[in-house]
Amino acid sequence: MSDATKSISAFLPFSPTPDRDSKPYWQALAEGSFRLQRCSPCSTLRWPPRALCNRCHSFEHEWENIETRGEIVSWVRTHQAFAPALREAVPYWVVQVALVAQGDVLLIGGWLVDREPRSAEPVEMQIVEGTEGFRFPCWKPDA
Amino acid sequence: MSLRNQVAIAGIGATEFSRDSKVSTLTLAARAILAAVEDAGLPPEKIDGLATFRVGDSVLPAVLAQALGIKDLNYYVDQFGGGSVSHSIVGQAALAVHAGIADYVVCYRALNARSEFRMGGTGRPLVDAIETQYQAPFGYFTPPQQYAMAARAHMQKYGTTEAQLGAVAVAQRAHAVLNPRALMREPITMEDYFDSRWVVEPFRLFDCCLETDGAVAVLVTSAERARDLRQDPVLISAASWGSGHTLMSNEHPDPTRTAAVDMAPRLFEMAGLGPEEIDVAELYDCFTYSVLVQLEDYGFCAKGDGGAFVETGATKIGGSLPVNTHGGFLSEGYVHGFNHIYEAVSQLRGDAGARQVEGAKVALSTAQAGYISGNTSALILRGDS
Repeated sequence: MSDATKSISAFLPFSPTPDRDSKPYWQALAEGSFRLQRCSPCSTLRWPPRALCNRCHSFEHEWENIETRGEIVSWVRTHQAFAPALREAVPYWVVQVALVAQGDVLLIGGWLVDREPRSAEPVEMQIVEGTEGFRFPCWKPDA
Repeated sequence: MSLRNQVAIAGIGATEFSRDSKVSTLTLAARAILAAVEDAGLPPEKIDGLATFRVGDSVLPAVLAQALGIKDLNYYVDQFGGGSVSHSIVGQAALAVHAGIADYVVCYRALNARSEFRMGGTGRPLVDAIETQYQAPFGYFTPPQQYAMAARAHMQKYGTTEAQLGAVAVAQRAHAVLNPRALMREPITMEDYFDSRWVVEPFRLFDCCLETDGAVAVLVTSAERARDLRQDPVLISAASWGSGHTLMSNEHPDPTRTAAVDMAPRLFEMAGLGPEEIDVAELYDCFTYSVLVQLEDYGFCAKGDGGAFVETGATKIGGSLPVNTHGGFLSEGYVHGFNHIYEAVSQLRGDAGARQVEGAKVALSTAQAGYISGNTSALILRGDS
């Protein structure tokens, strides 16, 4: 490629607006931990953060540190700056990753290396400094 | 009693499609609505229902009712939502008519999606959805990005190629060349497709729909009343609603599967027919890939074969299943699903001019297949003879 693809982690343009369900998720990330809710009765991981389990309908859960490994499901490289804050960032990769901890949890995240991701590539999360004290889950090849 | 063929689309209206209408969405909507009732030969005073959907970008039914001098609406719908609910608006109007709530419901979509509120996301505020917080920090928040992600997954899983995406764009442009309403009437070649700039890989510019100013309205009434109006009625053989997934919930791990997979059997069952009996399909084409995946998920070809199906030429006018005979969002214009309904009705009335599909009796028209909002909807329409 003629134009180097920059890592979006250098730009991370928007802060999230946490809601009452997601506040603990963002709080944990800000403290450097990747946590999801595990359903107390049936052990299902909930994604996105929400009060009840979509399998057993229980509201009981524990926030738990989750293994930060996954597998590439898909990826895109954005060339068009969809917001002024992205003009310096384009082109950049964004990946979709299935967690090893529970393969039906798919996360969107930044891609930290300057090469195209590969299909089903094993990846490892790195929590990256973002805007306004937030930190974000980004991904790199699992060494 | 089944809804099948009990309710009809008795009139259609459209404004000019442009990049800058220079008028309000109220004006656009009023023009399309008056055109639809004029098409049917119905006095505007008879309108007793108005229904639309919008994403904070258009005029609501109550404002329009005042502008049209309607003092008492028997029925209204003002639904929040994007293209996924486009066809459900007409389905709901059919239910209201069938139940005797209203007699003449006009469904409309009016938007300045290029000059005021760019639908593709450029310069638009972030969408106010719970899921936005998990995507926007990474510079990922627009429909082209979300659909490109699904398209890449499909390419990985089934070997779908860029040339197959391009075949959709080229075929639809050839249809738009035959359509005086279309914004893009210059033919394109596969070379032009590959030369068009990247928007978000694997999508080039020609994979992406237009952003358009315009409005379309359709008049929904009982089949019986429709037979007393000016045009040949187009019957609503089936309407269906589907609720899929947005890939932002556990238990939905396959990006190549849309909500149409689960909904299509209900739709065909209500109409009493199968995919092989569809003469023309107007498939929601926000992106080229959306067409491929719907060809699969509505059962026109095997899963994974959408690209190969298009490459055979089957979706061209004259092929076994002409698709997006107006040029679609890619080349006619983007009226958020309603221009697909307009085209399906035109084809079934035999009014489609140079792009008329010979002997078109049954049409499928579909909404956004469900990746973004989780919802989808569709209609099967047929001529009344």
